[in-house]
Amino acid sequence: MKVFGVELTDELRGIVREPAALFFSIIMPVAFFALFVSLFGKLGGGEVPAGTAMLATFGAFGAISVVLMNPGIGVASDRERGWLRAKQVSAVPIGVTLTAKVVAALPYALGVLLAMTVTAAVTGVLDASPGAVLRLLAVLVFGALPFALLSLAIGFQVGPGTAAAVLNAVLLPSAVLSGLWMPLEIMPAFFSDVARFLPTYHLGRLALAQLTGGPALTHVLVLLGTTIVTAALAAVSYRRARS
Amino acid sequence: METVLGVRGARHSYGATRALDGVDLDVGAGECVALLGPNGAGKTTLVNMVVGLLPAGDGVVRVCGGDPRVAATRRRLGVVQQSLGFPTTLKVGELVTGAAVRAGASRSAAGPVLAELDLTDLAGRRAAKLSGGQQQRLQLAMALVADPRLLVLDEPTAGLDLPARRRFWRLLAHRRERGTGVLITTHLIEESAAVADRVVVLDGGRVRASGTPDELVARLPDRTVIAKTSIGRARLEALPGVVSVRTDGEHVHLGTRTPEAVLRVLLAEDPGLSGLRVESAGLEEAVAGLMNRGAA
Repeated sequence: MKVFGVELTDELRGIVREPAALFFSIIMPVAFFALFVSLFGKLGGGEVPAGTAMLATFGAFGAISVVLMNPGIGVASDRERGWLRAKQVSAVPIGVTLTAKVVAALPYALGVLLAMTVTAAVTGVLDASPGAVLRLLAVLVFGALPFALLSLAIGFQVGPGTAAAVLNAVLLPSAVLSGLWMPLEIMPAFFSDVARFLPTYHLGRLALAQLTGGPALTHVLVLLGTTIVTAALAAVSYRRARS
Repeated sequence: METVLGVRGARHSYGATRALDGVDLDVGAGECVALLGPNGAGKTTLVNMVVGLLPAGDGVVRVCGGDPRVAATRRRLGVVQQSLGFPTTLKVGELVTGAAVRAGASRSAAGPVLAELDLTDLAGRRAAKLSGGQQQRLQLAMALVADPRLLVLDEPTAGLDLPARRRFWRLLAHRRERGTGVLITTHLIEESAAVADRVVVLDGGRVRASGTPDELVARLPDRTVIAKTSIGRARLEALPGVVSVRTDGEHVHLGTRTPEAVLRVLLAEDPGLSGLRVESAGLEEAVAGLMNRGAA
């Protein structure tokens, strides 16, 4: 536990001492959210007001973008500079180091979600009980785990520059196709057909279910399955990584 | 002498290429062993096994009796890499303290090591901003902070100037007196001769020779005959007293302990012989000779 504390502290220091990364990871998704809720947040017609539903979908986008970008680029940088090798030959099991990398991204994700919640409340579009909002935050933070594992799998194989490009190429189309930016109801039917196969869609729907009380089991199972697959991918990728 | 590193029958292949082929190696407490060999000899593969990054094939690697692939065994191991880029966000003191905790020592172990390596004043500086020599000292501080029984140093003085090298070896000598064994890989053969108790020559994935630097030099040529000649390599290798043949552009370098006899044969067999000179052979020639023998 003491060792995990050291690993986590080092990771958090890395986050706090790199304000530029903080800007892109937190400010950008929140600014995006603020723009969309100010334009469409007061629209009705759904099970919950549009602004409240956006907290679930944009929240999913924000949490995924944080945990997808940070651990992967971090591990790619560590590998490139020889720091990952230094960790591998230390007395710390590498799983502890990698877990710390993933866990360190969670406060980031929580920061994004809290900022979005405050934005929704301030702009008057938040119409949900505190309990529902807390469930929503918990689902998004923990539901982002498979994306952190995917991020590690990619980070073990490519350099930091390529990792950023690949991860963005995964994130942005998935977000659009999953209806995290614009509701699928107003998109061509093709988007809905594809979305059902994307874990990003299921995280968004699971988050939405916390506000609407809709069914959640299918989404939970898909996310659990995705976690198992991405964990296996990360393990294989680690073993094949050149340190 | 207590053995801090024992390697028996280490084998490893990369696809069809055999990098290590049954290597045995021991390092005792307080002993410094230099691992020499050309690029591709298998040094890096062997070091990767010793630090737990690779399995030993059907062989065995033990650090203080434990398997280095087990994290707990690596508490007894300190490693200095040839090149290491520190994270841009961490400070010197934080890195050494972190290394202490990771290796099971207390945080307070960092202070004395920082002082020993003259890093106390730099403790608050970002590690990535240090000079090359300071970064190398920082790596050594991180490797030493938990008082390891075995230190593995991969080209540790590459890029350091002469005073920094001397300082590095003085620090290491102090630790060796306290019983820390050292395995060092280096291309600086003369430097290894100065600091190592024993030299192990690796080539083609096998140990070609092992002994003290003096033993290796004594076993091999003490003179090098250099000349331009039309005599073919096969004949040169068959000349009485010739133990190594190396070509360098138009010149051949013949390692021998009987230079007079070699010269007589060369002059008799090649009337066009030119550029003739005879030089003393050091450990470098000895190592070249050993590798030559191995290839023969």
